[in-house]
Amino acid sequence: MSESGPSGRAGVALHPGDLHEEHELSAIWYIAVWIALVFFTFLTWFTGKQHLGTWALFIALAIACTKSVLVALIFMHLKDSSGMTRLVFVTSLVFVALLLFFTVADVATRFRPATPAGAPFGTERSQPEGLLEHEMPE
Amino acid sequence: MSRRGSSVAHEVAGLPEGILGHHFSSLARQNEAMRLGMWLFLATEILLFGGLFCGYAVYRFQFQLAFAECSRHLNLTAGTVNTLVLITSSLTVALAIHFARTNRQRAAVICLVLTILFALGFLGIKAIEYTEHFHERALPGKYYAFEAVKVPGSAMFYSLYFLMTGLHGLHVVIGMSVLAWILWRTVQGRYSSKYYTGLELGGLYWHLVDLIWIFLYPLLYLI
Repeated sequence: MSESGPSGRAGVALHPGDLHEEHELSAIWYIAVWIALVFFTFLTWFTGKQHLGTWALFIALAIACTKSVLVALIFMHLKDSSGMTRLVFVTSLVFVALLLFFTVADVATRFRPATPAGAPFGTERSQPEGLLEHEMPE
Repeated sequence: MSRRGSSVAHEVAGLPEGILGHHFSSLARQNEAMRLGMWLFLATEILLFGGLFCGYAVYRFQFQLAFAECSRHLNLTAGTVNTLVLITSSLTVALAIHFARTNRQRAAVICLVLTILFALGFLGIKAIEYTEHFHERALPGKYYAFEAVKVPGSAMFYSLYFLMTGLHGLHVVIGMSVLAWILWRTVQGRYSSKYYTGLELGGLYWHLVDLIWIFLYPLLYLI
C-alpha cells in the first residue's frame, strides 16, 4: 500500500530529489486560508452576538467545522497526505461522534427525577421566579 | 544489500548526521512512519478533548440557561482576539514549514519566532481573563461565588470552562516549548528541502492546538 503512494513519497529507492516531489503549495495558499479563517471568526462572532436561539449552536458548530476543515486540509497538509494518515484522523473523529451521540441520547431520554438537582430540560421550565428580567439582558 | 546500502548513502548525503534510523530502508519510509505516528498521537489528543466536549454537551443540555448566562459574562473581546492570535500563529507556523521546505531558513526562523510570540500573547490574554474570574470569584465547583449569575448549573459551567481552557492552555505551553526547541534546530540549519519532517510534526501539534480552540471559542464564549 505504502509503495504506491500517489506522490511516490513512500517508495523504496529514491533519488534525493524524488523525496520532495510532493508539490509544495505556494505561500499564497496559506495566506488565502488565513484570510478565510479570519473572515469565519468574525462571522461566528457576529452571528454569536445575535443570540439566534435554537440555531445559534448549529451555526457556530457549522462555522467551526468549516474552519477546522481548512486548517486540517491546507495547514496540516491532509490534502496531500497518505490515505493511512487521513484514516487515523477520520477514525478519531468518528469515535468522538459516537461518544457524543450516545451520551447525549442517554441524557436526553432520561426522566426528570434522574437529572441533577435544578436541571430541567428546555429554557421555558427552567426560569425560577424573580430571575426573569436578570436572565434576559436583551 | 549493497544496492540498498548505496541508495541510503546517496539519500543521506548532505543531511545532518543521525537523521535516518538504521531500521528504515529509506528516508521516505521514515518520514511516512513519523507522520503516521504523529497523527496517531494527535488522534489520542482529539479523544482526550473529546471527553471534555462530551461532558460539556451533557451539562449544557441539562443547564441551558446557566450556560447561556455564564457565557455572556465571559470577556468576548479577549476570546475573539485570542482566536485571531491563534489563527495567525497557525499561519506563521505553516509558513515556517513552507520556507524551510524551499530552503529559506532565515524566513523560517522569523516565522517560528513570531509563532512563539503569538503563543505568549495568547497566554497573556488568557492570564488577564483568569485574573478577572478570580476577582469575581467565578470559580469552579464549591469555590463558585460569582454574584452576577446565581442560576443552578453556573458552577458547572465554570468547572468545565477552567478544565477545557486549562488543558488547552497546557497544550499551548507544551506546543510553545516544542516550537522553541524546533526553532533552535532551525537556527542550526537542520531543516531544508532535504529533510524537514521534525519541523513539520511540531507544526502539526501547533495546528491541533489551534483546531481545539476553534471549537472552544464558540462553545464557551458565544452560546
